[in-house]
Amino acid sequence: MASTSSSKGKTTPRLRKQGQPEAPPSSYEYDQVQEDEHHADVYSSPRDRSGIEKFFESQQGSVVVVSALTALAFALRFYKISHPDQVVFDEVHFGKFAAYYITHQYYFDVHPPLAKLLFGLAGWFVGFDGSFLFENIGDSYITNNVPYVGMRALPAVLGSLTVPVVYAIMKESGYSTIIAAFSASLILFDNAHVAQSRLILLDAALIFFMSLTIYSYIRFRKFRYLEFTFDWWVWLLATGFFMACTWASKVNGILTVFCIGAAVLFDLWDVLDVRKEGHTMDYFYSHFLARAGGLILWPFIVYLSFFWIHFRVLTQSGPGDSFMSPAFQETLAGNELLLQSHDIYYYDIITMRHKDTKVFLHSHPDKYPLQYEDNRVSSQGQQVTGYGHNDTNNHWRIVPTKSLPETGRGRIVRNNDVVQLLHMATNTLLLTHDVASPLMPTNQEFTTWPKDDYSRHNDTLFTIQLAWDAPENEPFKSKSGYFKLIHVPTRVALWTHPKTLPDWAYKQQEINGNKNPSERSAIWYIEDIIADQYGEEPIGRDEDSRPVKTPKRMSFFKKFAELQLLMFQHNAGLTASHPYASGPINWPFLISGISFWTDNATNKQIYLTGNIVSWWTCVVGLSIFVGIIGADLIARRRALDPIPDAVRNRLWNNTGFFLIVWAVHYVPFFLMNRQLFIHHYLPSHLASALIAGSVLNFVLSDTINFPISYPTSKTRLRPSQYADVGFKGLATVIAYGLLLFMMFVYIAPLTYGTPGLTGEQVNSKRLLSSWTLHFAAKKTHDA
Amino acid sequence: MSFSGNVRARRPASPPAGLGHHHHHQAPLTSPGTVPTMSTQRFPHPKEDHLDADARRAAASKGFGPVRASGKYFASGGLNLTQGEYKLLFVIVLVACAVRLFRLSKPNSVVFDEVHFGKFAGKYIKTRYYVDVHPPLAKLLITLAGWLFGYNGDFDFKDIGKVYENVPYVAMRMLPATLGVATVPLSYLTLRALDCRASTSLLAALFITFENGLVTQSRHILLDSPLVFFTALTVFFWVGFCNEDKHKPFTNSWWTWLTLSGLSLGAVLSCKWVGLFTVATVGFSTVYQLWILLGDIRVSPRLWIKHFVARAICLIAVPVIFYMMMFSIHFAILQNSGDGDGFMSSEFQHTLGGRHMADTYADVAIGSKVTLRHWNTQGGYLHSHPHNYPTGSKQQQITLYPHRDHNNDWLLLNATADGDPSEDYKEHPLVYLANGHRIKLRHTATEKHLHSHDHRPPVSEVDFQNEVSAYGLKGFVGDANDDWIVEIYEGDRRDKKSKERVRTLRTKFRLKHALQGCYLFSHKVKLPEWGFEQQEVTCNKNAVKDNSLWFVETAQHEMLPADAEKVNYRSPGFLAKFWELQKVMWTTNAGLTDRHTYDSRPESWPLLRRGINFWVKDHHQIYLIGNPFVWYLSTLAIGAYVAVRGFLILRQKRGYRDFDNTKVTRYDALCGFFFMGWALHYLPFFLMQRQLFLHHYFPALYFAILLFCSVFDLITSTLRPRIRLQIALVFIAFAIWNFYHLSPLAYGLDWTRGQCEKAKWVKTWDFSCNDFYTDVSSLSDLLRENC
Repeated sequence: MASTSSSKGKTTPRLRKQGQPEAPPSSYEYDQVQEDEHHADVYSSPRDRSGIEKFFESQQGSVVVVSALTALAFALRFYKISHPDQVVFDEVHFGKFAAYYITHQYYFDVHPPLAKLLFGLAGWFVGFDGSFLFENIGDSYITNNVPYVGMRALPAVLGSLTVPVVYAIMKESGYSTIIAAFSASLILFDNAHVAQSRLILLDAALIFFMSLTIYSYIRFRKFRYLEFTFDWWVWLLATGFFMACTWASKVNGILTVFCIGAAVLFDLWDVLDVRKEGHTMDYFYSHFLARAGGLILWPFIVYLSFFWIHFRVLTQSGPGDSFMSPAFQETLAGNELLLQSHDIYYYDIITMRHKDTKVFLHSHPDKYPLQYEDNRVSSQGQQVTGYGHNDTNNHWRIVPTKSLPETGRGRIVRNNDVVQLLHMATNTLLLTHDVASPLMPTNQEFTTWPKDDYSRHNDTLFTIQLAWDAPENEPFKSKSGYFKLIHVPTRVALWTHPKTLPDWAYKQQEINGNKNPSERSAIWYIEDIIADQYGEEPIGRDEDSRPVKTPKRMSFFKKFAELQLLMFQHNAGLTASHPYASGPINWPFLISGISFWTDNATNKQIYLTGNIVSWWTCVVGLSIFVGIIGADLIARRRALDPIPDAVRNRLWNNTGFFLIVWAVHYVPFFLMNRQLFIHHYLPSHLASALIAGSVLNFVLSDTINFPISYPTSKTRLRPSQYADVGFKGLATVIAYGLLLFMMFVYIAPLTYGTPGLTGEQVNSKRLLSSWTLHFAAKKTHDA
Repeated sequence: MSFSGNVRARRPASPPAGLGHHHHHQAPLTSPGTVPTMSTQRFPHPKEDHLDADARRAAASKGFGPVRASGKYFASGGLNLTQGEYKLLFVIVLVACAVRLFRLSKPNSVVFDEVHFGKFAGKYIKTRYYVDVHPPLAKLLITLAGWLFGYNGDFDFKDIGKVYENVPYVAMRMLPATLGVATVPLSYLTLRALDCRASTSLLAALFITFENGLVTQSRHILLDSPLVFFTALTVFFWVGFCNEDKHKPFTNSWWTWLTLSGLSLGAVLSCKWVGLFTVATVGFSTVYQLWILLGDIRVSPRLWIKHFVARAICLIAVPVIFYMMMFSIHFAILQNSGDGDGFMSSEFQHTLGGRHMADTYADVAIGSKVTLRHWNTQGGYLHSHPHNYPTGSKQQQITLYPHRDHNNDWLLLNATADGDPSEDYKEHPLVYLANGHRIKLRHTATEKHLHSHDHRPPVSEVDFQNEVSAYGLKGFVGDANDDWIVEIYEGDRRDKKSKERVRTLRTKFRLKHALQGCYLFSHKVKLPEWGFEQQEVTCNKNAVKDNSLWFVETAQHEMLPADAEKVNYRSPGFLAKFWELQKVMWTTNAGLTDRHTYDSRPESWPLLRRGINFWVKDHHQIYLIGNPFVWYLSTLAIGAYVAVRGFLILRQKRGYRDFDNTKVTRYDALCGFFFMGWALHYLPFFLMQRQLFLHHYFPALYFAILLFCSVFDLITSTLRPRIRLQIALVFIAFAIWNFYHLSPLAYGLDWTRGQCEKAKWVKTWDFSCNDFYTDVSSLSDLLRENC
């Protein structure tokens, strides 16, 4: 109680004087201090409260409330969890990946492995043997004997535990039990969160770890005056750990990393400020290093360790092989490349295939027509095309341009060798020159040239450039040797694209020279070695003629770097349209949902959509908060001070942090070109529920629990006060909880996928006309 | 006394002078003994000793510099130039003219995008409607120049390198060239208005004069030179306005500068949409001003609102009105049908001469002869012609055809008639076509029926699409696959009847195939050559609603009386046309995603990695490339600004009071403004997916050059004027030397391969030296032979 006794009793409680324009500016600031102190005085005593309020604010009360919320969360998330007994939506993917972990087959996915590893673990624990591959939405679990309930239980548990974490975040932020319960119930009764956490999907894990990250960070911040103590370190490292888990669960977890990063930058900025804290640079460096260690290095180690487990578990060849580099593939047991790739010698007859479109490099005696339809002229040389089928016109011989030893390993073709390619059927050499290709005026034409005519020798020289940055003398191998064929004089790369030539080339695919030699789609590989120089089957020529080829080794960091890069590229490449994809602007308003599953026989369906009351409340809360902040900014610009200091600090620092969480998890989606779905908004929805709670607190009362950071002997003592939302708060939250619950129950048939609905019922559940529900009754047409 | 009385009269009745916005009012109070020579100044000069440190800092942040040793008083409001500077400016303009107009008539053939903009000038003169992604102002100006000098619009500007015949192309090139010349003195005046020294301003003016890229771009019929000019003009007016605002708001000259800023903003916006970046620059600057005013609690809310409204009117309303006026001129000129018709809606097309349609009967009944139009695409009319599909059923083709033709005529027949439907309707009274009617559509020219069946269409070969064909023969009454059911989707609000039955032009309806349940559908997919590249028509089971809507454009019925009600398209008003064109421009612009051989991404621009090949002919070449010296210095200035400003922020955080130094605050405000201009004209390009070129960097380059000159002003601020001038002249000499070396690419002059190879200072510059002769003598030999 540091307040002055002079102002005690002069003003009746809760009648705080707002800004006083009539006061002369000189004494203005003094008045503000007076007012704040007086204010603190009025609310600093919890004594004059009703018994119910006191109970709720007590330790036991809090435990009772959070237990009730948690129990309810489990109930709502486990209710009929066995329904539907079929594969739903993306269970197709994530169920499959869990199965691969159990069978140790290598797979490739854009998401990091943690959540999928957990599913694998859950599946293994309940005795799933990994034989069922979740091929199609609607496949039956029952007939395939899949213990799917055990696997679904994992996200359900995580999703249920998110509710008490949300509650704890609000409690730790200094709001009253009632407000914390309000925020928690926005998540508890949300249909989208429930639907998403009852199925084998990654989002429940993502959201759970994300909320734990926020919780840990807030705990960490509360120790800010006790820096470098044990507790401080514990919560710093916990933040880093959960942050890594969030990121390792799903690729968009990286946003949580950015969001903590932003908060830390703000924090460090304050530490740096000599006027605010007055610390030395050494002090700043120690803080900086602690955070760099705890929030960059340590999480990265955690993140890496999940990948380490991932690679340790997936040791067998599987469907993900073909995404990886040959070197990587050869680390997998049973991989085709490992078993079938052979060294290539000069004068071998080979067939080569384009990696993306799988056509063979082909040529036939027909010539290019003199003039194309657009009046450009050709060289009238022999056609070189891409052909999809195996045929002797695909046979080429690799001719050296250097002298070779008679026998032995000196005859192996190696990276960066300059070669000629001889077309066996017509005895001509592959050539390209500065003539425009038939379909693309910007690219060079490929043709062939008689073998014995040396006049154009230079134009028939090509460099074999192995992909994946292979070393200089790397041997060139069939199957695994992905390479580019670069023309020596003009530096174009042999390239093809899915457009077909007109009838004069039998609608085969065009081959041309791409002037951008770094083009990623210019990669080819040797499909097969048809014969060696004597026309015989090649046998026993490999360097490592091991009896049974054992997988090779590759450093973990190389594997990690390669996989990480591929994940990034594929994630950016997910641009195909999807019928239920939606734009970010629609999400907060719940404009559209996703149809997860339908059953025509019983008219049942699962449609991912949120609790409309919860979501719109969050939007309203957000806008009120932005309004308050804006008004406060302008008022302070005009030297008015309408909000007590403690409350303003809470609004800016705590609710502002929630706003950053919301924005960082939401705004970046506007810049992404990949397919986006409404469930990408769920982390932001959680953040907006936190904002809604603190806005409700602000609306109900201008008190908070203050201070909440742990003091030290050095901290400036401030008058403490207690949150007091009063009886109206309790009433509001209970009434609101009921409303939420009713709305939840109303939409529940879409969330749980049962019971089946008649057409009229579907129409009535379609609260927004933009929801595309199935089995809707046709509107009767008034002709 | 009379003097001080005058000054007082100029002062607004405001709270007592303090340390903020109106600090200058303090001057007469605290310095009653100001010497009479002051009365020639618009404002008495606040000698440093009259203001304390805070006030000095505040003054500096508003752009007032410290008093110079020369004793020259800083400008207050508007622009103050000395007599000598006018002469200097005159010389600068002469030099700029020489550089930009040198051999303007060469080459005498079409260069780069003259293909487009020359063509558009022809369209204006012929009043043929066209659609382009750029707003009309710059093109109108070019047209004006061409028209004044007798261009008749006949030349087609078809290909780069086509030799001009009967085109006053020099006059047309004069327009961008003149504006390019005018940019040079503007840069001088802008820096002077910002209180930079004359030598600095001279440096800026000559850097811009000798910037190869700006020179090349301004010598041809292109839009970027007007764009850069209007950007520079806006910056100049805005700077002038800011000076006025610091001096005294709401005077006549304050309003003039503000209005001029607004007008030139409108002009930038009307040249190219990237003018929006200039709008953003001025916008941010305005918001900052208003924020400062808001913090000055002696500015009453009422006065603040006045500030706000004045800026809103002049910087939002004026530009928008200007922009719309440009379009109204555009529409007023382009009154006739042209190759842009196809982009516009039917109502819009109706307003164009040559596309005008006569009134048609409003009622549609069984037995009406109608033309049907697709509602969502501009593909045109439901059409058939005596050619067959080479695929599927191999029956007669159904397409969408954009022009009027008797092959678009269809006869509506009752499919449920007992006898021959083509005779049946004549025996009954008129039956209006209404919802649920089962009809057949008979193609009158070939006497076949619109037909669909379980065959895949030729292009969209997917399961849910059925082929639509014309099937039957003369006298054949047709089969059930010819039957379509009318489903009215929407009528017109102002025509009640159109919701109940089909009315010409007013009712949108769908046609559902009676057996297959699919809807008659079309989309923006062209048939191959055998279908004359007309638009594909199918019957779609999952039809997108908009693409399955049709309406009757014309209808006639032999049993309707001649005086029956007639209708026509409702002519859209200006706003409707304006808005429609904006949308078309937007979608066309967003669709420009094809790669171009010489396009480049924004990250390569500040480093001048690559230029654009404008024109190659007869062993001469024009290649757009910047002056590397000027270019790299400007980029360097950007980097230096970011580094220094970042460092200052950190220092400030650690309690160093750098910003108490008036010099720091003054140059911070100056450089900060140019940096903001650069960033806003550059960074947004990273978000654009469309094809981008080096010349998109030019407005940003203008800001970067001015930033460099401000940095120069700062660094040389402690030197004697003479030394400063000498340093500036060295810089200018280097710039001219660089310019000279690359100038053959700007002017398309004689050059040899060797010189060309030597000029390739940066490996990624890709002008093709192989096009030049190995030595000039062979060129002159060639010329001699020709003579």
